[in-house]
Amino acid sequence: MNLVLRFQTRPLSIGRSSAFITSSEQQPTTPQQFKGLKIVLADDDNVNRTVTKKLLEKLGCEVTAVASGFECLSTLSSENSVRVVILDLQMPEMDGFEVASRIRKFRSRNWPFIIALTASAEDNIWERCLQLGMNGVIRKPVLLQGMAEELRRVLQVAG
Amino acid sequence: FQGYLDHEQFNQLEELQDDANPNFVEEVVTLYYRDSARLVHSIEQALEKSPIDFNKLDSYMHQFRGSSSSIGAKKVKAECSLFREYCRAGNGEGCMRTFQQVKKEYTALRKKLETFFQLARQAGPVDRARRPK
Repeated sequence: MNLVLRFQTRPLSIGRSSAFITSSEQQPTTPQQFKGLKIVLADDDNVNRTVTKKLLEKLGCEVTAVASGFECLSTLSSENSVRVVILDLQMPEMDGFEVASRIRKFRSRNWPFIIALTASAEDNIWERCLQLGMNGVIRKPVLLQGMAEELRRVLQVAG
Repeated sequence: FQGYLDHEQFNQLEELQDDANPNFVEEVVTLYYRDSARLVHSIEQALEKSPIDFNKLDSYMHQFRGSSSSIGAKKVKAECSLFREYCRAGNGEGCMRTFQQVKKEYTALRKKLETFFQLARQAGPVDRARRPK
């Protein structure tokens, strides 16, 4: 007597499975293209901060994530190799505009680079940010592609 | 999930999941529900006060909308936007009505996500691509 065992194998969806993500599939950006880039991320919302931090780490960045403008400023004063500051504009207590003004008061225009994060659709946000010496703006909710492009653009300015 | 989730945004979360953080999506969603539970409570309290502090309400709702949009909670986000319009108009009735909607969508999404995670855990990483609609 023969015993036949039939196995039903499900097709492996390698392309879509998170464990096998290939950079060519959905992200034209190469992972790790910003390897070692030191960033301070300031966002008071836990969910947003967690997601944005992971996104930046996926791009190879070294991220210090803080929840307030105050913490952001104190991190910067103790670490001077931070290249980019990513700031949520709408934070309670001290908003992103205030933080940026204070950073620019004591440091040069291009160190660190400052990129604003905002959910606002107002036209003059970019202008306001520029006036305060910020270098870039990213609209929320943040997507990997958008972040990578803005980082690339801002960093290229310095050459 | 038809209509409940912004797939581009949710996909984003899935793409951030990797071997080092195999449960990232579930962690973020859990964090969202924990934080937003606090906000829902604050909003409820604020709505019970008389007179209503619309500025405070708007500020809470801004936060709520922000984190909802991070996880791609499309319907919740839409109701939040509507709520904020009533806030700005100083319309307490409108706020209360809309808030019931917000809670409804929020709870419905939570149930769907819980099911999704249960299925994902049973099926394993390979089947994660097939999302229940």
